[in-house]
Amino acid sequence: MADPIIQLENVTKRFDDFEALKGVSADIREGEFFSLLGPSGCGKTTLLRTIAGFEAPTSGQVRIAGQDMAGVPPNRRPTNMVFQSYAIFPHLDVAGNVGFGLRRSPMSAAEKARAVDEALEMVGLAGYGRRAAHALSGGQRQRVALARALVLKPRVLLLDEPLSALDKKLREQMQGELRRLQRQVGITFILVTHDQEEALIMSDRIAVMFEGQIAQMANPEMLYRRPVSRRVAEFIGVMNFLPARVTASSPAGIEVEIAGLGRATLSGDSHAEAAPGEPPSVGIRPEMLTILFGNEPETGRVAEGEVREVVYYGDMTYYEIAIDGAPGTVTVSMRNLVNRPVLRRGERTRISWDERALILFR
Amino acid sequence: MKGRWLRAYTVLYLLFLYAPIALLPIFAFNDATIIAFPLGGFTGRWFVELGKVPALHDAALNSVFIAAMASVSATVLGMLAACASTRYEFPAKRPIMGFIMLPLVLPEIIVGVSLLVVILRAGLHLSHWSIIAGHILIVTPFSIAILSSAFASLDRSLEEAAIDLGETPWSTFRLVTLPLVMPGIISSLLIGFTISLDEFIIAFFLSGSEPTLPVYIFGQLRFPQKIPIIMALGTILVVLSILLLVTAEYFRRRGIRRAGGQDSGGFLG
Repeated sequence: MADPIIQLENVTKRFDDFEALKGVSADIREGEFFSLLGPSGCGKTTLLRTIAGFEAPTSGQVRIAGQDMAGVPPNRRPTNMVFQSYAIFPHLDVAGNVGFGLRRSPMSAAEKARAVDEALEMVGLAGYGRRAAHALSGGQRQRVALARALVLKPRVLLLDEPLSALDKKLREQMQGELRRLQRQVGITFILVTHDQEEALIMSDRIAVMFEGQIAQMANPEMLYRRPVSRRVAEFIGVMNFLPARVTASSPAGIEVEIAGLGRATLSGDSHAEAAPGEPPSVGIRPEMLTILFGNEPETGRVAEGEVREVVYYGDMTYYEIAIDGAPGTVTVSMRNLVNRPVLRRGERTRISWDERALILFR
Repeated sequence: MKGRWLRAYTVLYLLFLYAPIALLPIFAFNDATIIAFPLGGFTGRWFVELGKVPALHDAALNSVFIAAMASVSATVLGMLAACASTRYEFPAKRPIMGFIMLPLVLPEIIVGVSLLVVILRAGLHLSHWSIIAGHILIVTPFSIAILSSAFASLDRSLEEAAIDLGETPWSTFRLVTLPLVMPGIISSLLIGFTISLDEFIIAFFLSGSEPTLPVYIFGQLRFPQKIPIIMALGTILVVLSILLLVTAEYFRRRGIRRAGGQDSGGFLG
């Protein structure tokens, strides 16, 4: 595996009486698409700005390409940033914006113009060079900001919530384009986002942050399937929690008694932290619960319950189901197939589940 | 009914404001030495005579020099203060800014007398420089007000982007900050110039042997036969002031449009 391009060692940042970063350590690999994910105020943007050099860590060390960045200003770091507001210079045209960072480069004027054209072509804005900055749409501003950062061929591209100002459709399109662009140029992208879906779709690895600390750092699949805490599990996707009691615990497996589901044996590694002070619970994702329609044969374990709410999405239907013997409801998602009806509120139904899909939070 | 009263009130108010000023050009072109109706014939001779008074030329030059120095100095000071107040938090920021803005409402006669006492006590002589100092004092709050709005509407990430793209703080100021607040700077210069140009009280107290234009005009009012010339001069000054103010407002609005333009109206298409 390639050497880490960015090494964060116990980075803390204190603003007056607020501790924005509480000892963050992470290695970010060369060429990966890395996301910092968390709710607002979790310190993800502060961490990005610390890497960029706009904030100096209160303690700890930031190394980029092996070099300690203490005291190195943003203009001398091999990083470039795409700002949340895009920060397109309103007094310059598109080519002036994209070529801004080349002013100090030793390239000839013709080479600079070519570099600008190439960068614009890369982001799908070929021929827009003479366009005035204020005549651009949101998506185009985003692309200009990308081209402006990429034209300098940075080792690391930092993106601060770059898609949050775009509408849903454009955002989804740009997610795909950013991913494609990252593969094409091969440089490390670090994305800050509060949108867990966006992080899952785009990233090679994700660091989930809460309150100035990294709660979990993993690839999207691990993060979704093996959250290390109830908090992470609740932040990434949807998870159902059922009260549970541990009856026996050994390295081979953990025996639990789950409200509504009954006894189950979990493998030794499928457990995670509960929220502080919370009683133990068992988590299961909505797609891991399967409704048995009509007299479909039982597969695995089965529970029974009543449909309380039906949300029809077209391709999927989400049910809120009150399982007999369990408090509250669980969410169950079912793909809509030819032979599957959509259940109505108040109907009784059977739900099949599998021990391997369970995670114990304690 | 109510609408009619309001309309009448508005018309009266505007008449009260502008009718006296409208008299200026009327009598400036009136062919009679006495300022009274009925009017005589139309003449341009008062404007011609304006050109024949050397003392008036000197006074005009004094005023222009003083206004230029005062507006440039006030704009530089205003820029520093606006930058500090919009960017940084520091102890006692509000009271400090409040005291800086105070000359806006301080009676000028107090400022004038105090300055006169201080300058004479300090053993300095009254000259252009004493008037310039007084004018900087009253113009700077206007500059700060104008430039604060220019700096406040400037997106800070624009400057960060420039630094991120390899520029130093100084070259960032030159390449990004300055062009974007330039409309505010021009607006501040023009308004400062206008205020200083027609300021009378401070100039009256602090001018030595070289009067400014308003002080000169005040002196000439003792000679009734010169009043039509003053009317002509007044006409020119009013037109000039309006022109300067309109230009200043144009630049101020353009500045806000430009600096704030990136977060409005951009997301369609």
